[in-house]
Amino acid sequence: MTDGWNIVVCVKQVPDADDVSIDPETGRLNRSDAEAVMNAPDYNAVEAALELRDEVGGTVTALSMGPPNADAVLRVAVGMGADDGVLLSDPAFGGSDTWPTSLALARGAEELDADVVLGGEETTDSSTGQVPPGIAAHNGWAQLTYVEELEPRPDGDKLVAKRDVEGGYEKVAAELPVVVAMGFGENDPRPAGLHRKIFAEADFEPETWTAEDLGVEDEVGLSVSPTQVGGMDTADPVPREQEVVDETDELAEQIAEVL
Amino acid sequence: MAATSDTSADIEAHDDVWVFVEQHDGEIANVAWELLSKGRDLADERGEDLVALVMGADLDETDIPEQCIARGADTVLIADDPVFEPYRSDPYGEQFRHLVETRKPAVALIGGTHTGRDFAGRVAVPTHAGLTADCTELEMEDGRYEMRRPAFGGDALATIICPEHRPQMSTVRPGVFPAAEPEEGREGEVETVEVVVDEDETMTEVLEREVGDVADITDADIVVAGGMGAEGDFEPLWELADLLGGEVAATRDAVEEGWIEPARQVGQTGKTVRPKLYVAAGISGAIQHLEGMDDSETVIAINTDPNAPIFDNADYGIVGDLHEVIPELIEYFEENEEAIPA
Ligand SMILES: Cc1cc2nc3c(=O)[nH]c(=O)nc-3n(C[C@H](O)[C@H](O)[C@H](O)COP(=O)(O)OP(=O)(O)OC[C@H]3O[C@@H](n4cnc5c(N)ncnc54)[C@H](O)[C@@H]3O)c2cc1C
Ligand SMILES: Cc1cc2nc3c(=O)[nH]c(=O)nc-3n(C[C@H](O)[C@H](O)[C@H](O)COP(=O)(O)OP(=O)(O)OC[C@H]3O[C@@H](n4cnc5c(N)ncnc54)[C@H](O)[C@@H]3O)c2cc1C
Repeated sequence: MTDGWNIVVCVKQVPDADDVSIDPETGRLNRSDAEAVMNAPDYNAVEAALELRDEVGGTVTALSMGPPNADAVLRVAVGMGADDGVLLSDPAFGGSDTWPTSLALARGAEELDADVVLGGEETTDSSTGQVPPGIAAHNGWAQLTYVEELEPRPDGDKLVAKRDVEGGYEKVAAELPVVVAMGFGENDPRPAGLHRKIFAEADFEPETWTAEDLGVEDEVGLSVSPTQVGGMDTADPVPREQEVVDETDELAEQIAEVL
Repeated sequence: MAATSDTSADIEAHDDVWVFVEQHDGEIANVAWELLSKGRDLADERGEDLVALVMGADLDETDIPEQCIARGADTVLIADDPVFEPYRSDPYGEQFRHLVETRKPAVALIGGTHTGRDFAGRVAVPTHAGLTADCTELEMEDGRYEMRRPAFGGDALATIICPEHRPQMSTVRPGVFPAAEPEEGREGEVETVEVVVDEDETMTEVLEREVGDVADITDADIVVAGGMGAEGDFEPLWELADLLGGEVAATRDAVEEGWIEPARQVGQTGKTVRPKLYVAAGISGAIQHLEGMDDSETVIAINTDPNAPIFDNADYGIVGDLHEVIPELIEYFEENEEAIPA
């Protein structure tokens, strides 16, 4: 492959984690007024995608499934340096759990003829971490998760990853096409360049694909989703004494009490 | 394209509770015992069998099957082949998928480790099973299986149900459920299953694997945890933990700095601990961290910032530099040794 790799990076729009508050009156979760941002771990995925392109050549296309205003996260990725962006948007996607979500993204990646698909470790809203392995499973592709570092081997059509495992690490070589989930915080995402950012915000228009464009109109949405959210409770903070002492000895005495 | 076999049509045909028993090189992950214990309760309530599934190489030379029975399994399924060692997602997913399709479990529990969270989707997607991540409560409510899990970084607790698809799969992070003691002499069946994975068809190759001793902080009665406020120096925390007979833990940020090994990370993407005493030193108290230590009996906070959220989530706190406070605590306990239980 002399003309580089088709690199697709999945980015999700989420409510700003710092803005999700608990309404003191009702005790309910207040996320309606939280600003919509790009999922923090996805910055690591975009950075890894751009580094891969620097090494092997090719293009980086950002891919997101979400409502029409989710084009904002594609603009973030393009501002950082992605070449293009595609939004999967259709009321039919509403209520999708990770099964149809990863199906839609998998078909999008196929449509883009992806050699490598990157995603984040997990999101800050529903944080399942199941979407990247789901994409790989729907397409029957290899996968590499909890990745610390990537080492492309374009000559052999392989991607090698150093991945975090309990008690250490391992290096795994995967055949292309492959889906990668980058570990959160494993690289330093580059800031958007000024000109690129202006282009991304003012001139760039992502393409939008519907469920029908992907041929999945009967396989997405709430009705085909095996899991359903049956209810939501706010997690009550654990009651604590909240006593602040002045002297270390007082603290030590409290500790001694517990021991 | 992977073939999809939709199992939603025959819910009645599915029964039994399965637990994936994670092992690497014959070394069992503790979370497997935690899940067998939880799975035993669920199987009893549902009036079904508890099945342990183990994959690996040369398992017949180990006592893993007997250990699974002692920990509550009625049946142990063994998939024994070199293709399963070391772990890779594609052979594990493929073998597990085959067993699910042919034997039809109703519930499947998988440790929420980097291994379990890696391959679970390769089972759930082709079988169209429901997969619920990071469950912290698993219960039968009026005959319905309910899985509860934190969302929005721990601000909310969502109840997930899976009414029309089987199996109902869940991942559970280490330390969430307690492990039961083994019961020697318990009886059960061991069955070696047909291996359907061929090395020639795998898509991945493990080139290198470096794994040392894995610290286990989930059972500790005393945990001394540090965060970014430790500023690279965990030495005082180790000293205090040694003195009190506890374990050292950390925030994700401190782990990422390389100050301490990842196995000691507490929180949403790390371990859950429930010690009698949790000392949080130089930890701001982010929701993702609190999630892993909220069940501690008593929480002590040491932080230079009086407005750090950790103080709202602690029983006793002191505003101060941990590099001064902890040595003073050490001095106190060296002088008052009788305060430390033997
Ligand atoms: C409270 C709550 C709990 C839920 N629990 C479950 C559950 O246990 N099981 C289940 O199957 N579904 C669950 N869902 C549904 C699930 O949140 C959606 O399917 C969601 O769109 C994708 O899951 P995630 O956010 O967990 O993604 P993750 O798998 O955590 O995301 C990992 C990476 O995949 C990529 N990615 C994920 N979603 C998108 C997207 N829309 N567009 C582009 N890239 C994306 C990103 O790179 C991201 O970093 C839950 C929903 C809610 C509201
Ligand atoms: C998807 C996702 C998953 C995550 N999972 C986890 C997880 O599992 N576990 C986890 O811990 N985090 C997790 N995080 C990160 C989390 O959001 C916080 O960033 C992290 O917990 C903060 O770590 P910290 O308290 O060490 O650092 P900081 O927030 O930087 O706090 C440092 C604290 O130390 C205090 N301090 C500074 N100097 C001193 C001193 N000399 N003495 C005493 N105090 C001092 C400061 O006042 C401050 O309060 C996750 C984040 C995301 C997005």
